[in-house]
Amino acid sequence: MRSSGTRQVTATIVAQQAINGIVLGSLYVLVALGLTLIYGVLVQINFAHADFVTLGAFAAYFFMHLFGGSYLASIGVALVVGAVLGWLINVSIFAPLRHKGSELLPLIATIGVSVMMQNAMLSLFGPVPYAFETPYSQQVFRVAGTFFTAQSIIIIAVSIATIALLYAFMKFTFLGKALRAVAQDRETAGLMGINPSYLIMLTIVISSALAGMAGAMLAPVLVLTPFAGTSVIVKAFAIVIIGGFGNVEGTILAGLLVGLIESFTTQYLDPGLIDIVVFGLLLLMLAFRPTGLISERREENV
Amino acid sequence: MSDAAAPSATAYRTSSRRIGFLVAALAIAVLPLVLGGSYWHTNLTVCAINVLLALGLDFILGYAGQLNLGQSAFYGLGAYVSTLLITKLGVPFWGAFAAGVAFAGLAGMILALFAVRLRGHYLAIASLGLAVIIHQILLNWISLTQGPLGIYAIPPPPAIAIPGLPRVDFRNPIALFYLVAGFALLTYFILDQLVRSPIGETLTAIREDEISAASLGINAAAWKVFAFGVGAAVGGAAGCFYATFVGTLVPDAFFITESFTILSMVIVGGMGTLIGPVWGAILLTLLPELLRDVGDLRLVVYGLALTLVVLFMPGGLVQAARLVRAKLGLLRERAP
Repeated sequence: MRSSGTRQVTATIVAQQAINGIVLGSLYVLVALGLTLIYGVLVQINFAHADFVTLGAFAAYFFMHLFGGSYLASIGVALVVGAVLGWLINVSIFAPLRHKGSELLPLIATIGVSVMMQNAMLSLFGPVPYAFETPYSQQVFRVAGTFFTAQSIIIIAVSIATIALLYAFMKFTFLGKALRAVAQDRETAGLMGINPSYLIMLTIVISSALAGMAGAMLAPVLVLTPFAGTSVIVKAFAIVIIGGFGNVEGTILAGLLVGLIESFTTQYLDPGLIDIVVFGLLLLMLAFRPTGLISERREENV
Repeated sequence: MSDAAAPSATAYRTSSRRIGFLVAALAIAVLPLVLGGSYWHTNLTVCAINVLLALGLDFILGYAGQLNLGQSAFYGLGAYVSTLLITKLGVPFWGAFAAGVAFAGLAGMILALFAVRLRGHYLAIASLGLAVIIHQILLNWISLTQGPLGIYAIPPPPAIAIPGLPRVDFRNPIALFYLVAGFALLTYFILDQLVRSPIGETLTAIREDEISAASLGINAAAWKVFAFGVGAAVGGAAGCFYATFVGTLVPDAFFITESFTILSMVIVGGMGTLIGPVWGAILLTLLPELLRDVGDLRLVVYGLALTLVVLFMPGGLVQAARLVRAKLGLLRERAP
């Protein structure tokens, strides 16, 4: 029989890991939402998406350490860097390949971009991890035995605000409605006077901006190296598939789930097993429920 | 008229094929003698291993049309399974080789069972997932694989001693190159027979339009499993040779970036042809060696090549060669 003391310690550990998982998960949500939004309008995957996360993180790091900018402003810088990268990849890859009608060529081309970006960053910034310290990671609050840093409060606040803004944009603005129309039926939307090319561009820019911004917030939590994107992209893929490609609510749910899996695997199993657990879940989902946690009508791709 | 012309055209194609194989065999025989020194012997053997990897992926991607990002996993499985059998259980080399190839092929078929329900992007992600899982298992199952510390002193294949013939010792790098390159040539020959048989046409039909293929009575699911099995087994064979050639195994040799490198070779060469990936593998193996100064930027070149080829010449080197030949043909016709 366990004493009430150990039970309380266990409860505290569980609460602590739940907090850590939600912080991490909300960042994964920001990254995965971009992938899922692009998939919604374009039915394509940007494999370099996570490298936008990494470059956003490096942009924020150098903005703070070379130019002495504040951390909150550096999140904005990362957002702009992400948006520019999104515009570039649309102009150079997605727009020219859109009319060739191949499902796989754009994906392969963005794999090339990802390999290029990672190795260019490697030769520019080197393989040694950067310690991305923000003034907020030192401020610790203690609530009922659990710890949180000001950093994690910023992460959760910015993530919730961003997701709420995005939701409002999609639901209430004309552009947002047009975007959903393009996602449902690109040709008919075109007949209604909506310019699909413009909206696809806008979606990729918004999605990539989210990725860059997520980078500025992820780097202080994880390790910042040129290959940071690789571990993020594999989890983001797992999230979009577990949540259902193109499904925003499912992606949010799956993102938090993967964050929680990661923190509890670290606590109770072994950090080396995170990817195995996450991808084991992914393969199970693909085998038994390929439309994702929340089923949708879009089934023709499965 | 046309009836009479058809067989002779086929005969011509068959004879030019034979000449091609002969030239390839000659090149394999002569190259390590002309290009002396361990530097070139290493490069040539790496070329042969990469040719095998690219051929295996191309059979899945170029012919069956399934984007497999898990080739690094099959490569790693072949390497680790054969090596562990040799070092832990003392299985003879060729028995371990057969087991490594079979294990990789089986893993490919299991992945293909997912491919049966999944197409395009979903399959790409599932295969990437497999590559991540296999790499993580190799890294974390330390009691078996020694994790990041790696396995050292992997012996070369045993010498072949046939009475009356000179003894072939694979500690000699030239002999080892002949073994790997000879195996690659044999693989090319078998795959070439396969893709020009009705099986090849069946796979192409699935690649072009799975639904129409199914309406013709083709069991697309079974053929995808077949294509994955073959392509993964060839990747596994490359892994067995890699282990015995390098003599050391670490999990990071089979990280997912290796899948992208192999993909670059197939795309740059020209997917859906067999000769394309061969040239792609040779070019992308030797190009960074020739551009020594590039150093760290080797993989930047790979990524750039991959993107540019997809954008401007999706048929790769094979398409470029056809264009050049067509231009030359036009010039020749105009000349007289």
